[in-house]
Amino acid sequence: MAVPGIVAHLDLDAFYAAVEELENPELRTQPLVVGGDPRGRGVVATANYVARRFGIHSAMSCAEALRRCPQAVFVRPRHALYREYSRNVWETVRGIVPTLEQTGADEGYLDVGEVAGDFLAARVIAEAVQTAVRAGTSLTCSLGVAPCKVVAKVASDARKPAGLVVVPPGREALFLAPLAVRRLPGVGPKAEQRLHAGGVETIGALAALGDDELKRVLPGSVGAMLRDRARGIDPRGLDLEVERISISVENTFERDISDRERLHDELRGMAEEVAAALQRRGQVARTVTTKLRYADLSIRSRSTSLESGIDEAATIGDLGCRLLDRGLRDRPGALRLVGVGVSGLADFRQLALDTS
Amino acid sequence: MIESETTVGADLKITCSKDELVQGLSVVGRALSTRTAIQILSGILLEASGGQVRLAATDMELSVRAVVAAQVEGEGSVVLPGRTLVDIARLLPAAEVTLEHRAAESVVHISSGSASYTLQTFNAEDFPRLPDFAESETFSVARGPLLETITRVARAASRDEARPVLTGVLVQFAGDKLVMAATDSYRLAVKETALGGAAPDLEAIVPSRALQELARIAGDVDEIAVGVQENQVLFAVGDVWLTTRRIDGQFPNYRQLLPESFEHELMVPRAELLDVVRRAHVMIQRATPLQLRFADGEVTVVARTHDVGESRESMPVPFTGEPLEIGFNAEFLRDGLESVDGDDVKFKLISSLRPAVLEGEDDFTYLVMPIRLPG
Repeated sequence: MAVPGIVAHLDLDAFYAAVEELENPELRTQPLVVGGDPRGRGVVATANYVARRFGIHSAMSCAEALRRCPQAVFVRPRHALYREYSRNVWETVRGIVPTLEQTGADEGYLDVGEVAGDFLAARVIAEAVQTAVRAGTSLTCSLGVAPCKVVAKVASDARKPAGLVVVPPGREALFLAPLAVRRLPGVGPKAEQRLHAGGVETIGALAALGDDELKRVLPGSVGAMLRDRARGIDPRGLDLEVERISISVENTFERDISDRERLHDELRGMAEEVAAALQRRGQVARTVTTKLRYADLSIRSRSTSLESGIDEAATIGDLGCRLLDRGLRDRPGALRLVGVGVSGLADFRQLALDTS
Repeated sequence: MIESETTVGADLKITCSKDELVQGLSVVGRALSTRTAIQILSGILLEASGGQVRLAATDMELSVRAVVAAQVEGEGSVVLPGRTLVDIARLLPAAEVTLEHRAAESVVHISSGSASYTLQTFNAEDFPRLPDFAESETFSVARGPLLETITRVARAASRDEARPVLTGVLVQFAGDKLVMAATDSYRLAVKETALGGAAPDLEAIVPSRALQELARIAGDVDEIAVGVQENQVLFAVGDVWLTTRRIDGQFPNYRQLLPESFEHELMVPRAELLDVVRRAHVMIQRATPLQLRFADGEVTVVARTHDVGESRESMPVPFTGEPLEIGFNAEFLRDGLESVDGDDVKFKLISSLRPAVLEGEDDFTYLVMPIRLPG
């Protein structure tokens, strides 16, 4: 656990819907709902901003969404595709802020304190993250920057989409005070009901509760925790992954490349870097992934898994090139970027006979 | 001997037993190409003449031919979509089936009882010419020793097409001895088998898949005929023929891969160890190694998978000296223990990073490379 002094919460804007719009630009101007069957019991996973104008929001039943907006386009979620985009977003973010805690496909906390000395610098970093994510994936995200997680999370939601809200130290309680209690992370429908019954409507009112009142309205440790949060106090640090679960290298070209041999050469060069990283760590990988980005910025990746782990550049390169060929067979076109990565890392290594 | 010449242009018309047709089609269906890039390879060739219909399928690596007795009203040949034909035949309602080729319409009518089908045909002229015994040097091998050697060796071959030579089994006939060897470079299986009769000297690398198919179709015959050509090996099991491409290249010098001396040689009850390994295997996910911890008088088999859990089981073995911890791919070890013959297996070890060898009561050697454990 790391306790940073400056933390940012990043939230991709209408993530699933935004990906669907990228994959099919015609949807951009139409009310779009990603979720279940509107004729069944499905619920809305994400609605784009056009659809939100009709009052459609996440977790609403699709049937209700259809009633509110009969002309809405309903699409089923394509999680494999979202994962590809998500992976790309977080790789991009890591390029700027290396230490982060991903809490979902579309959100996470960034240890901005590690790369920025103060809140002015933190704002610049946050803007750089937004720019890089947009340039790298064509997706927009909103960020909240604050001294602690809870305030950063509320701040990222304050000015969506593509918003950036910085709450410097000392201003946390002031920032939270006017907002409805329901906006405070940790306040669910039940707590909201109890708070309302006790006359507490805003986060500020919760923060102002005395100990006795708090015990009456929200007994137990949860009450104290929520009041701390309402006051902008949140001791939680970033939950960091101890182990790296993948290693990858990618390269964006100055000009799109369609020449297969050039692409293979690029890929083999990157495989050398990946293999060197594996060997430094004394690890082997069982999955090789090749990533392709086309001129229209859409991303495809292809993976293959092996029976035993590898760490040799030539093998990673060979497999990577085969995956590239497969990807280009499925969808031909000039590439803006290729990348090769390995996952399924393990510390043990299947030894081999010299059968050469 | 079967003629492989086809009479083009004539219209085939046959009536035969449904069950016999299904049996024949199921056998040749194993050679159908699963890749559909070349359409004709997804087809089954039917050739009718002289009271029988001959069936053939090939994916260019492997071919299988079978013969079905038939009442032939029209001689000729035709190629039909293989999968569909196999599926249709299995479901036909009556004991007899009639197939009639109407070349002018490029269709075959299939009728059996109340059911009738019309199937589009492929052009029989496009069907590849298959290797013929008449053009091969041939000899016979007893079925038992041949199949036993295949089943114990072939699964050590590689499935990775990146090194074609390792997807094959080295087959050597030398005097009255048959030797087979296969390795995927993580393990090596070698078996020498006495044939009880001399065969001509021969050395070929044969796709492991073809040999495993041969084992599957070699039913109740005493002898299997072997034919050899420059690029092909042929097997005849009764009137079922299987031919396979020979793999080009140099098979690794496997004798060199076998260590000459070992630190430990333990006799271990085979079935007991196999059970321990099978129980531990349940806990293995991905390529997590099985850990064998040898200490004075016992071995402890540990399987530990992150996020899943751990298993641990000990059994007495005559081990002495410094404790030895060695990791293996559980499947490789299990394969080896299953392939060895006899009540006891001789477990030969050098160190945790050197090959281990399993031997049984007959002339079979299974080498398995360890997995380097962390730390």
